[in-house]
Amino acid sequence: MSGFEIKDCVLLSLMSGMPPAFNLRELRDRIAACSQDVLYHHFCETTLVASFDYPDYRNDFAVWASKRLGDKVLAERLGIIDPYSRSSLEDLRGEVLDIIDERLSEQTMVSWARMGHEFYFMKATTIIFDTGERIHQPEELLPAIRRMSNGSIYFHFLEARRRPPVGADDFAAWLVAFGPEWQPYVEALSGLDFYFSTLSQLKRQLIELFENQNLS
Amino acid sequence: MHQALDEYEKIAGTPVIEQLRRLGDRLKGRKILHVNSTAEGGGVAEILSWMTPLMQDLGIDANWMVIEGSKEFFNMTKSIHNGLQGYPVVMHKRDWETYIDVNRHNAEKLRPLLQESDFVVIHDPQPAALLQWFPKRRGKWIWRAHIDVSHPFRPVWKSLRSFVQAYDASIFSMAQFAQLLPHPQYIIAPSIDPLSEKNIDLDVSELEEIRHRFGLDPAVPTLVQISRFDRFKDPVGVIKAYRLVARVKPIQLVLAGGGASDDPEGSEVLKEVMEEAEKDPNIHVHLLPADAHRTVNALQRLADIIIQKSTREGFGLTVTEGLWKGKPVIGGDAGGIRLQVIDHYTGFLVNTPEGAAHRIRFLLHHRERRMQMSRTAKEFVRENFLLTRHLREYLTLILTLLSGEWKPTVVV
Repeated sequence: MSGFEIKDCVLLSLMSGMPPAFNLRELRDRIAACSQDVLYHHFCETTLVASFDYPDYRNDFAVWASKRLGDKVLAERLGIIDPYSRSSLEDLRGEVLDIIDERLSEQTMVSWARMGHEFYFMKATTIIFDTGERIHQPEELLPAIRRMSNGSIYFHFLEARRRPPVGADDFAAWLVAFGPEWQPYVEALSGLDFYFSTLSQLKRQLIELFENQNLS
Repeated sequence: MHQALDEYEKIAGTPVIEQLRRLGDRLKGRKILHVNSTAEGGGVAEILSWMTPLMQDLGIDANWMVIEGSKEFFNMTKSIHNGLQGYPVVMHKRDWETYIDVNRHNAEKLRPLLQESDFVVIHDPQPAALLQWFPKRRGKWIWRAHIDVSHPFRPVWKSLRSFVQAYDASIFSMAQFAQLLPHPQYIIAPSIDPLSEKNIDLDVSELEEIRHRFGLDPAVPTLVQISRFDRFKDPVGVIKAYRLVARVKPIQLVLAGGGASDDPEGSEVLKEVMEEAEKDPNIHVHLLPADAHRTVNALQRLADIIIQKSTREGFGLTVTEGLWKGKPVIGGDAGGIRLQVIDHYTGFLVNTPEGAAHRIRFLLHHRERRMQMSRTAKEFVRENFLLTRHLREYLTLILTLLSGEWKPTVVV
């Protein structure tokens, strides 16, 4: 069995260079034109961005629709999108545009945000680095998770879903090789509802999952 | 007195400190120079007073230099500061000549350090022109804007832009503050130092001593605004809000803050505030020395509600400090206050003295809500707005710049 290399990552946001959107039409047009990095940032990297808020929705477009446009209908429709269940970022973009187009067709006037509340299109650089830590047996995973930074949790559990095997987290992908004894944990990891969790909460969820003796 | 990085482990957690050490390992020996315009007073000096030693603790060859300037220079840069925050200011050609002359003088004085550094971080507009005297610089130069330049008075921004556009990157505290520039613009929110004199836990006896010294009545709810005496902090608006509340409820107000050596306007505003207070025994106006950090800390801890009714604001570190002390904050709907004060979670955003008065009364009336907000507020700060996160993002930026052209993912 190959050892599990514990990686860590840190993220830094930067302006995408696109002009901000003041209304829903502009938001739509910018989403249609933005790079995949921008789309990925606003859907998937929000958990790594420092915030004072526990927003109702986990993607920035839904949060903006709710808080700044005051359009709860649109926020609900955008908020339920799970980016990790889409086969590609273009697929995700298509779905977002469909929802916004539908909303625009329902409205008699385009909704606007107040000055200072416009949507800023961002992207990010993620620095990935090796912590030097290795584990070789599944039993070592729980103490390792306890020691992990939020960046490691993000990298191995969320960001991992973009890498082969696409859609799987690193922990589950590694445990599969250890046979049926560890299958309940693989399944529990796959069924973990992480969408509304901050990274600290997700780390606690993972610790609780591995502490759960009923799975073994 | 700065703390070693390990001292923060109890507050931020072991994984956070280990992550910083691992990032630091990849930057060992690199020369990083911070340059700003004041050694004390104001948020920038506070940030640099911890960031420089902590970078050194990580093995980075970090330094902090302060530029020298004449009274005319600081009057002029205060005008730039006001102009960048949207205040129409009159600036003459000779003002910009003073600006350039002072920067040229400092460029010569600091030349060896500036020339040999791998990374130079220039903080705010005052030293921004230094770069032009280093056409053959070896390092990367970063301009760090700590203030809100989202709606600048255009002539001022246009002039300043000519100095900052040649930088390799810039940093803004929030996306809303950024201006279009021909280089990458990174977003790094500032932070607070939980072990600094201003934020460290204090004994009850020390709090009581400060309460006594400031003549505060322990039986009366206390409203505190800590800020420089600056029109954008709207201290007169705070007094108006206090008066609206005082009509129906006993309350006392503390308006306290230091001056900064680069802020010549402070005494004028302080005079206006004293006049507005009109010897009301329940309004306590205090100009504090720049090093009165423990006093500020105690006043924030003695508060029932923190207020920061700014009409323009940078990030608003006094808000973060208040939240860290477990106090709900009533903040002006401006700048970074908007990012930190979330209605019903950490406090309330307000636009007018009337709105502030309404929320003060609401919070005084709902003690349980106030307590819940306090707990939420402190955890938000612990997770995201301590200096450990701030330091991590600087290290990330430096590693990003070292990697060359922008890429979404960099493996180091």
